[in-house]
Amino acid sequence: MAKVFLMIDGRQVESEPGKTILEICRDNGIDIPTMCHLDGLTDVGACRLCLVEVEGVSKLLPACTTRIQANQVIHTQTDKLKKYRRMITELFFAERNHICAVCVSNGHCELQELGYKVGMNHVHFHYLNQKCDLDASHPWYVMDHNRCILCTRCVRVCAEVEGAHHWNVMNRGVQARVISDFNTPWGESITCTSCSKCVEVCPTGALWSKQTLQGKMEKHPEKIAELMEKRKMSL
Amino acid sequence: MNRQDLQLIAEQTNIKHKQYKHKVCVCCGAGCIFSGSKKILQNLQDTVKAQGKKKDIEVVPTGCMGPCNEGPLIKMMPQNTIYQKVKNEMVPAILQSHIIENKPIEKWLLFKNSKQKPFINSLQAPFFKKQRKIVLKDCGDINPESIEDYIVSGGYKALERVLFEMSSEEVIAQIKQSRLRGRGGAGFPTGIKWETVNKYVADQKYVICNGDEGDPGAFMDRSVLEGNPHRVLEGMIIAGYATGASKGYVYIRGEYPLAIKRFELACQQARKSGLLGLNILGSTFHFEVNIRIGAGAYVCGEETALIASIEGKRGNPRPRPPFPAEVGLWGKPTLINNVETLACVASIITHGGEWYAQIGTPKSGGTKVFSLAGKINYSGLIEVPMGTSLREIVFNIGGGIPGGQKFKAAQTGGPSGGCIPAEHLDVKMDYENLVALGSIMGSGGLIVMDETSDMVDVARFFMEFCVDESCGKCVPCRVGTKVLYDILTKICQRQASMKDLEKLEELALFVKATSLCGLGMAAPNPLLSTLRYFKNEYLNYVNLQAALQPS
Ligand SMILES: Cc1cc2nc3c(=O)[nH]c(=O)nc-3n(C[C@H](O)[C@H](O)[C@H](O)COP(=O)(O)O)c2cc1C
Ligand code: SF4
Ligand code: SF4
Ligand code: FES
Repeated sequence: MAKVFLMIDGRQVESEPGKTILEICRDNGIDIPTMCHLDGLTDVGACRLCLVEVEGVSKLLPACTTRIQANQVIHTQTDKLKKYRRMITELFFAERNHICAVCVSNGHCELQELGYKVGMNHVHFHYLNQKCDLDASHPWYVMDHNRCILCTRCVRVCAEVEGAHHWNVMNRGVQARVISDFNTPWGESITCTSCSKCVEVCPTGALWSKQTLQGKMEKHPEKIAELMEKRKMSL
Repeated sequence: MNRQDLQLIAEQTNIKHKQYKHKVCVCCGAGCIFSGSKKILQNLQDTVKAQGKKKDIEVVPTGCMGPCNEGPLIKMMPQNTIYQKVKNEMVPAILQSHIIENKPIEKWLLFKNSKQKPFINSLQAPFFKKQRKIVLKDCGDINPESIEDYIVSGGYKALERVLFEMSSEEVIAQIKQSRLRGRGGAGFPTGIKWETVNKYVADQKYVICNGDEGDPGAFMDRSVLEGNPHRVLEGMIIAGYATGASKGYVYIRGEYPLAIKRFELACQQARKSGLLGLNILGSTFHFEVNIRIGAGAYVCGEETALIASIEGKRGNPRPRPPFPAEVGLWGKPTLINNVETLACVASIITHGGEWYAQIGTPKSGGTKVFSLAGKINYSGLIEVPMGTSLREIVFNIGGGIPGGQKFKAAQTGGPSGGCIPAEHLDVKMDYENLVALGSIMGSGGLIVMDETSDMVDVARFFMEFCVDESCGKCVPCRVGTKVLYDILTKICQRQASMKDLEKLEELALFVKATSLCGLGMAAPNPLLSTLRYFKNEYLNYVNLQAALQPS
C-alpha cells in the first residue's frame, strides 16, 4: 500500500494510510497521554487528553479517533496542549474523591500516573465533593463510584469483548453514573458473567477485587488487546 | 394521485373557498391556544352556525400569526384585520359589526393599546411591514390540518416540478445558488451538504429533519411544524430526491405534542394522496417518513447524539469526522437539516435560487425566523431578511422596550450564544457578524434585556442550563461547566476574588477549546460575551467583596 508522509512535532514520519494519529504517534515513540482509549476497544474520544493541533484545522482534534491524512502537520506537545492536559487532569481529581492514600490502587493507578506525567502539583479548582455510592453486592468485586472517572472502558469491554452488556451509563452531566443493568445491585445481576474484564481495564480504584489491601490492586488492561489479537488470529 | 390530480385538488379547493364571502382565521399557535383561542374557535363556529351563516362565513384554525403576546388573535379576511385579546363576549359583536355592518371595531384592533397606530389592515403595522415571510408564508392563513389548503396555496408544486422536470444535480444547484445556510445554528451551506450526501454511493441513505429545538425560549421550529407541517414535509421529500435517500426521520421533542400530532396527520394525508410512499405522484421516486419523539434533552439536538437517539442508544455525541453525510444513521450517508432549513426549500425551487439569494446578504441568502422575547413590547414570532439590523428588529418590529427603560443587550443563540450590547445595535444580523461580536445566530431565539438586567446573573442562568444538559461524556464540559457555574455563583454571592475572575476566564476558554461537541464548545459563550461587554458588572461584585474584607 502507498505510504503517507506527515510531519509530527517537526519530524517527518511515514505510515500506511487509515491509521489514527494516536497509532502513528505511538509507532514513532511520541507520547500522548490517554485515558478513555484502550488498545482493543472502540474509541470514544471522551477524556480529551489526547487532543492535538493539526495545522489548517481550527479545532483541536482527539488523536485517538482522528485518522491521519497525507501531508498533515501535527503538533502534540505545545505549551497550550500541555496546559490543557494538566487542567483536564485537575478536573478529574476535582470531580470525585481521589484520596490516594486510602485507595486499593495507590501506586498502580493510571490517574495517579497521569497526575505525575502532566506535572500536576496542585488542583487549582475547588473540589465538587460529590458523595457517591459504593456497590459491594457482588461476591468478588466492588464498584466504588467515588473513584470512577467515567472513561467507560468497563462499559465497552463488557459489551464489545465479553458481549454481556452488563454496564451502562445513566443520567447526564456530573450526575452521570456507570450502572449495573438497569441500576440494580451488581450482585443481583443475571447479565454479569463475573469475568473480571471490567476490573482489569478500569484505570482507577473504582472497580476492584474484594479482599485487596490498600495499594495492592494491580490490573492488566493490556490483556484486552492481546485477547482481541488472538481472536483475530483464530478466525 | 398523479400530476393532474394535484392541479384538480387545487382548483376544487379554490372553488370551495370562493363560495364563502368571509373568512375568519383563528390563531391556534401554541401562544394563542395557551391564552384560550380554542374556546374562541368553538364559539365562532357555534355562533356562525346559530346565526345560519355557515354558507357565508368560513371559520379556519391556523398556525401562529406572530404577535403571540396579544393573543388570542383572530384575523378577518380579506381585509387582514386582526383583533387582539379576543374574549368570548366579543365574538357576536365582531361578527355583527365587522362582517355584517362592514364596520371594523377600532377599540379591539391589534396594537390598539400601544404607541403604534393600529391599522384596519393589520399588515400595515410596523410589526408586519418590515417582515418578509417565506418560511412562515402560509402560517396564520391556512388550516395546518388540511392538505387541500396547502395545495391551494401552491403546496407540493415544487415537489412536482422536482420530480418531473429536474435532476438531483439541478435541485442541488438551485439550493447552492440560493445561498441557503443551515438554520439549526451553525449556518453550514445547505447546498454543499446536499451535494456531499448525494456524492456518496450506498444502498440506503437517510434524510433527518431536526425538530428537537431545545434552546430555552425558542419556538420557531415548533411554530413551523404546528402552523404548516406540509411545508416541512415537502422540503424533506425534495431533499430525499436530491440526495438519493428513500427514508426520512423527523425528530420532534416530546414537549411538542401538537407538532407531533400535526406532522403525523400531514404524513397520513400525504400518503393517502400519493405524495409520500411508493411512486410519488406517479414518478419512479419512493420516499417514506417516520417520526421519532425526543425526550427533551438539549444535547439530542446535536446531530450525532440525535442519530444515536434514533438508533435507540443513549443520546451521546461522538467526535466528527466522520460527519453524518458520510457515516450517519445506522452507518449510512445521512442528510440532517433543521426544520426551518427544510421549510425554505419549496420556495427556493418555486422561485429559483437566485431569487432567494437576493433577499439576504452576499454570504447568507433568504430570511431568518426569530422568536422575540424578554423586555420588548411585542414579543412573538417574526421573519426578516438576513442582514436586517438588530435596531430594526427591536425598535421597529418589536416596538421597543416597555416601561420607558433603556435597551441594554440582546441575547441571541440561547445557551450557545452571547449578548449584543447597545453600541452594536446597528449590527446586520447574519452568521459572520454575530460571531464577530462573540455571539451566534443560533436557531433564532432573541431575548431583549433592559437596564434592570444583571448580566452576571444572565451568564449564570445559561451556565446552569449547560450544567444540567451536558451529557457527561467528556471531561471539560461535564466537570468544567459545573466548576464555572460554581464560580459564577460565588461571584453573585459577592464571595469571589480577582483570582476567581481570572480562573473563570481561563477555564471558560479551556472548555471552549477542548469539549467534544458543540454544547461544551459553546457553553462558555454567554459568560465570555458578558465578560467582554459588561466586565464592570463582574468587577462590581468582586470589588464589593474586597471592600467588605477587613484589611
Ligand atoms: C448542543 C446542540 C444542540 C443542537 N440543537 C439543535 C436543535 O435543536 N435543532 C437543530 O436543528 N439543530 C440543532 N443543533 C445543530 C445540529 O447539530 C445540526 O448542525 C443541524 O441540525 C444541522 O441542520 P442545518 O444544517 O439545517 O442547520 C444543535 C447542536 C448542538 C451542538
Ligand atoms: S468504573 Fe472504571 S472503567 Fe468504568 S467508567 Fe469508571 S473509571 Fe472507567
Ligand atoms: S461537550 Fe458536553 S454534551 Fe458534548 S459530548 Fe462533551 S459532555 Fe457531552
Ligand atoms: S484518549 Fe482520546 S479522548 Fe480519551
